[in-house]
Amino acid sequence: MTSKSINKAARKTIFYLFVTTLLVGILLPVYFLVTLSFLSTREAYQFPLPMTPALKTDLKLGYGERGYLLSVWERSEDDYATVLDTNDLDKMRVYIQSILGTKITDEELAEQIARLESSGEEEVFFTQPRNLLYNYETFFRVTRDAVPALMRSIQIALITIVISLVIGGMAGYAFARYLFRGRDALKFSVLFVRMFPGVAIAIPMVLILANMGLYDQPMGLALIYSVGSIGLTVWITASIFLGIPVSMEEAAQVFGATKLQSFVRITLPLAFPGLAAAAMYAFLGAWNETVAAIILTQFNPTFSVVVYQTLLGATGQVNLAAAGGIAMAVPAVFFTFFIRKYINQMWGGMRV
Amino acid sequence: MAEVYLNHLTKRFGKNVVAVNDLNLQVHDREFLVLLGPSGCGKTTTMRMIAGLEEVTEGTIFLGDREITDLPPRKRNVSMVFQNYAVWPHMTVYDNIAYPLRLKKMSKQEIDKIVKDVAEMTSIGELLDRYPTQLSGGQQQRVAVTRAIAVYPEVFLMDEPLSNLDAKLRVAMRTELKAIHAKTEATTIFVTHDQSEAMSVADRIVIMREGEIEQMGTPEEVYDNSANMFVADFIGTPPTNFFDGEIRRANGTLHVVNPRFDMALSPENAALLQAYGKRDLVIGVRPENILLVDEADALLSTDVLVVEPQGSHQVISFEFANKIVKIVAPTHPPVSAGDRIHIDFNQRSLHFFDPQTTQAIDRPESG
Amino acid sequence: MVNVLHSKSFKRRQKKIVPYLLILPVVIYYIFFWVRPVINVLVGSFTDINTGGFTLGNFAMVFQDPTFWPAFWNTAIIVVVSVTLEFFAALALALLINRKFWGSSYFLFLVIIPMALPAVAAAAMWQTGLTPHGWLNSLLFHLGILDEGQKIFWLGGYDATKARLLAIIILVDAWTVIPSVMIILLAGLQNIPKEAEEAGYVFGGNYFTVLRKITIPMLSSTIQTAVILRLISAIQIWLIIVLLLGFGRLPVLVERIVYYHEEVPGLDISYQMATGYTVIVSILVSIAAFFYLYVSGAFKHREDAV
Repeated sequence: MTSKSINKAARKTIFYLFVTTLLVGILLPVYFLVTLSFLSTREAYQFPLPMTPALKTDLKLGYGERGYLLSVWERSEDDYATVLDTNDLDKMRVYIQSILGTKITDEELAEQIARLESSGEEEVFFTQPRNLLYNYETFFRVTRDAVPALMRSIQIALITIVISLVIGGMAGYAFARYLFRGRDALKFSVLFVRMFPGVAIAIPMVLILANMGLYDQPMGLALIYSVGSIGLTVWITASIFLGIPVSMEEAAQVFGATKLQSFVRITLPLAFPGLAAAAMYAFLGAWNETVAAIILTQFNPTFSVVVYQTLLGATGQVNLAAAGGIAMAVPAVFFTFFIRKYINQMWGGMRV
Repeated sequence: MAEVYLNHLTKRFGKNVVAVNDLNLQVHDREFLVLLGPSGCGKTTTMRMIAGLEEVTEGTIFLGDREITDLPPRKRNVSMVFQNYAVWPHMTVYDNIAYPLRLKKMSKQEIDKIVKDVAEMTSIGELLDRYPTQLSGGQQQRVAVTRAIAVYPEVFLMDEPLSNLDAKLRVAMRTELKAIHAKTEATTIFVTHDQSEAMSVADRIVIMREGEIEQMGTPEEVYDNSANMFVADFIGTPPTNFFDGEIRRANGTLHVVNPRFDMALSPENAALLQAYGKRDLVIGVRPENILLVDEADALLSTDVLVVEPQGSHQVISFEFANKIVKIVAPTHPPVSAGDRIHIDFNQRSLHFFDPQTTQAIDRPESG
Repeated sequence: MVNVLHSKSFKRRQKKIVPYLLILPVVIYYIFFWVRPVINVLVGSFTDINTGGFTLGNFAMVFQDPTFWPAFWNTAIIVVVSVTLEFFAALALALLINRKFWGSSYFLFLVIIPMALPAVAAAAMWQTGLTPHGWLNSLLFHLGILDEGQKIFWLGGYDATKARLLAIIILVDAWTVIPSVMIILLAGLQNIPKEAEEAGYVFGGNYFTVLRKITIPMLSSTIQTAVILRLISAIQIWLIIVLLLGFGRLPVLVERIVYYHEEVPGLDISYQMATGYTVIVSILVSIAAFFYLYVSGAFKHREDAV
């Protein structure tokens, strides 16, 4: 009896150990990207990289040849490293703030200098808190397009949601409720649309959108993104509507509702959570897309394009790129959390 | 006030599938009519055509003197209880009942009064604030019925409303439906595949097969005077037993002869078969009309295969010509498997069928 | 009377139109924003850029492109290896999550995070990880696997063999893609009635026989969905390669399209090359997709789908 329960407990422990190991393996890269986005520039270019971001910075102030000597505690070396020898307090403050990603004011720095002077010691030690969001602030400040690009990306994603939900939702409803010729073709259209490389579509679309006056416009990109997301929305909404018994609508019609009323009052509220999930799916597609955005924008890039450019090294540093990447990932992961239950349901009803 | 007429009603799906074929039926005012048949017989399709949920391919439907063949469901003034209840899960019980009334543009006070009245009648008064997910299957069923009553329809349609309930509740609910019908007196059309349910609730039963009517009549009529072998087999549990036989004349009386027995016919039965021109026939005997008798009076002696005690009676099975024959007998004398029994038929309740047409012989042959 | 009949049949016909009206917007949308650019590309691929006439020369040029065959074979290797690898890993993961252990719903969420990550974020992650002073080497150093001053040049150096680059790309791609394959398989698994598997155990099957003889066959149409979607996108891999390696180091077919269109747009041949590659990729995708559907028997039991 007891040995059995010990055995059971042991198996359970091993199982959860296995699951945890798996999780660590899968999420390790994400962890490091997050860590990197919090690292100061100085730390981000060291090897080996610290495995966790520091929460405070230990500094040492002494006298140097040109003025004051600033040293910083190096975790990997277990020692102070001298980083600056200057008389210019402004320069020193900026260095601490930007390169070390550490909070300090003029007054605080002046106070430490005064302490050094008055103590008569060779050097003074002090600790300042880190500004963990420094990379994020910098990313949005330095990358000149980041904020408007973010707005554009949100705008594009919202338009994509509206287009794909309305158009795809109608077709999904037809799919779930009617038998009609071309039903199979509609089902396979998701595949057909994907068989042609998306980049290749984007290239001729430059001209087509230019003719419509939509090149380099959020609306133009939303139109392109909808091509991909409509097909998926058809699948998703079809399986949602399939999950709502027809008799719910029929009952409403028998009891005096028109077809439209029965749809609006009965089916739509019942489908709402699923449709919200489908909307988030469309959002993710539009939000994450980079390639068509690179091709179809010029002066009005999307947020993903801005991050892409930072990444290519033209404008930024690794920790800034990491901050941009995380900034992009946060809404995506956030929405995924909400739709995690529905992602399953979406795929449940449809098969090739 | 509400009679329903189905005239030459036909429903085809695609080109080849005929779900309902040239159906003619009149449902009387205040009648509780049951459409009964095996699955795929077209009973549900017929009901859905009356509700307007299924398009009519050919024929017409009248409600009183009003043609409703092509009207949308909402303009027909019928109400319906669905097999899966179709209670709207995002509305409270109160709103489920009130929504149809709101669609009729009734005033708030009126609606409130009706909802409370009908809820009282079906005893769901305490459930009005709940959501359907908080209710049991039986309670949801009541809500569906209440909702259907509340609109005071001309015709009340019920599509297998009890089939999702457990056996005990099903029996209780059918008594209740009958009581509700007695109170509302609404013309009711009830679809089921369960013959005992049909027998217990119906004023009149319409038995359907493959889109056509096999027989209609009161429960007693279809049971005692089944029009054909299909009905005789479908109605009653256990079903009617069939024996093949041949008519022979011997010593001035008519006999039905079978390799296992030779039965002299009673004068009434002989008179009935006098007009029958053919030799081969099928005898249909209801299980309760096979009697256990002494060996001396026996038509036939056989070994018992299985006995199923039912408390009030027992069902005895034996094998006859590669078929199982079932007898419903009193619990006394007790019988067990392997016993030798001696049986006779109750001649006053025999049915005779033409093996070619499968129609009953005592009726004029019709299509 | 005749009039009445006429109007009736008209009404009935009207009802049949409803589904077509509902799908009409999709059809129009596809024609405008998919069929039209596709036709543009198709026409372009058969057009002589100088004379404007019909030609097969563009394709000839693509086939003569010295990077075509390397790109073709690289793509083929990536597709075969990664689809196989991702399928089995995703299946194992889906089976694990389908056991519904304590916390499995959160586990599911954490596991699908890689799927939610934007391509650029994923690229940022691997780029910062795979550089010699990146977090991967740092991690190995902290774990004591690498000695001080020792670094692995994952992507770099002249000694980077093609096999190593391919392996890295396949692994990085698998990390991103496995969750989305897993999700589809998991949905299918959850649709299998428990009784079917339980019957397998009752009649003496062990975990693997039940998996092989009951679960997988019942999952077959889901597997087809998952594999076909994956196959289609695997052939079109390029972004992660370019973001990690740049253009030309590990040429693949779609990367060539972008290369000719974006990187060397000035050349006469750029447009011809880009459209030529595009059409060839589409044909290859279609062949692979239909071949897979045919081999897996999807055409045989279409009617029981959906």
